[in-house]
Amino acid sequence: MAKGGNQIEKLAEAPVEFVKDGTAFLQKCKKPGNKDFLKIVRAVGIGFVAVGVIGYAIKLVHIPIRYLIV
Amino acid sequence: MAGFRLIELAKPFVPLLPEVELPYEKIGFDEKVVYTIIAAIVYVFGQFPLVGLAKSVVVEDTSNAVLDPIYFLRGVFAAEPKTLMEFGIFPVVSSALIMQVLAGLKMVKVNFKVRQDRELFQSCTKLFALLQSFVLANVFIFSGYYGSGLSVIQIILLNLQLVLATLFVTLLIEVVDKGYGFASGAMAIITVNISTNLVADVFGVNQVPVDSEGHKEAQGAIINLLQSMRSSHKSFLGAIFGAFNRDYLPNLTTALLVIVLAGLVCYFNNFRLELPIRSTRTRGVNNVYPIRLLYVGGLSVLFSYVVLFYIHVAAFTLVQLVARNDPSSLIYKIIGGYAPSNNLLYVPQFPLSLLTPPKSLLDCISRQPLTPITFTAFLVVTGVWFASLWQHISGSSARDISAQFKEQGITLTGHREQGIAKEFEKIVPLASTTGAAVLALLVSGGELLGLKGKGASIILGVSCGFSLLELITAEYQQSGGQSALTQVLGVSGA
Repeated sequence: MAKGGNQIEKLAEAPVEFVKDGTAFLQKCKKPGNKDFLKIVRAVGIGFVAVGVIGYAIKLVHIPIRYLIV
Repeated sequence: MAGFRLIELAKPFVPLLPEVELPYEKIGFDEKVVYTIIAAIVYVFGQFPLVGLAKSVVVEDTSNAVLDPIYFLRGVFAAEPKTLMEFGIFPVVSSALIMQVLAGLKMVKVNFKVRQDRELFQSCTKLFALLQSFVLANVFIFSGYYGSGLSVIQIILLNLQLVLATLFVTLLIEVVDKGYGFASGAMAIITVNISTNLVADVFGVNQVPVDSEGHKEAQGAIINLLQSMRSSHKSFLGAIFGAFNRDYLPNLTTALLVIVLAGLVCYFNNFRLELPIRSTRTRGVNNVYPIRLLYVGGLSVLFSYVVLFYIHVAAFTLVQLVARNDPSSLIYKIIGGYAPSNNLLYVPQFPLSLLTPPKSLLDCISRQPLTPITFTAFLVVTGVWFASLWQHISGSSARDISAQFKEQGITLTGHREQGIAKEFEKIVPLASTTGAAVLALLVSGGELLGLKGKGASIILGVSCGFSLLELITAEYQQSGGQSALTQVLGVSGA
């Protein structure tokens, strides 16, 4: 019984430990500064939207094709 | 050679399966960019409607029509309903991930150092993907998803289309994977598809009929706002209210939420632990070695969704195929059934709804109060488990990094050479699992607000896009910035 209890205790402890370690890790991390962040967001945003527009253009082309073949 | 090896099963099929040849010479930077983008675009092109469907499945008697049961998983796998990409890249991605995980757990014995083993493993993965799409196709066909009373020819046609489409996607991904493009093909396809969907949801101009009176609304949230402000059958305030609240098409609220999520992912992508390093050969050369928080990137989310997909397809098979979604049957009572919604979606009921993101925040509180707990827990547990496994089996585990350090004559400041491996073994798993947990929390946060899969997909899309961008910039710098593309484009967008 004692052994079982111990195991359960360990199992319950693992997530708590994980959360503790995780938050400690997060605090140690270097976070992007405001300027960096803006730069990154802009780069990712431009890339994302550019690729998206190309993809969407293809999708638009598909609409008439769909009418033709269905 | 003890015992039976699963990969041997693929042996008779190796000569039958088409394979992409490895490039003979080094592919240049420009070609790689072009290959990657074209591969992804070809995928988008591939979303042709299926041949052999009854023309008006939707108009059919709606009370027992089988609707889309996996709508909230589609975004993540770039799957478009009722097209060749019905299952999107799911069969390919899931088989690749599952086989890798099995190999990592030593359940499938592969010696990756032997060329023949590698080839067998690859063919096995491909075969598994085809098998999956075949099974999925038939589950969907016989559940009545493509309409009831299909003829034999229709069934064969559907099967052929879906399986061949998967084979095609496999090859498309393989082209990129084998060094013609950047990173993994699946990543490129996911990124392009998700960005396409984002643009369609925000700026989409195509008109979709929304009610029986023949009114049409634009798919894009912003376009819809502008349009309905001018339309005659709506008041000005009603137009704005509708633009933020319509639930049949993307609305401004979800668009804004998605953009916020994307920003958050960008933010977390730049969390890094910088370890001070110094060279053991030359004195006074100090630098930092960054360990990213999102060490495994979006893969952990992808894995969670693969598991989720399996669960939901299994449930769909049982409920629809075996029990015919009949509320009085035992299976329905145990697993839960489906309720049609908006004539488009099949919404899982309790207890299956525990693992289904709600349709809206209101729905979540009023109808599925337990879902936030179970869904989040599911995502976090699967994501963290996968991350801790993946950082170990992929080529960037603690051991690999320390070996690399040794080779290049670098060491962590304040540690002896022997201590490096130990230090990394502490940090790398922690980084990857914490990162996975953060991502999982973000995903579930977004999904619980009622994004219907858009939250998960944007998070995956941005983190995949990020990995791609990182690879591309690294390669760009390595190639010495010699690229005709960037000269043409002026400053590269990246």
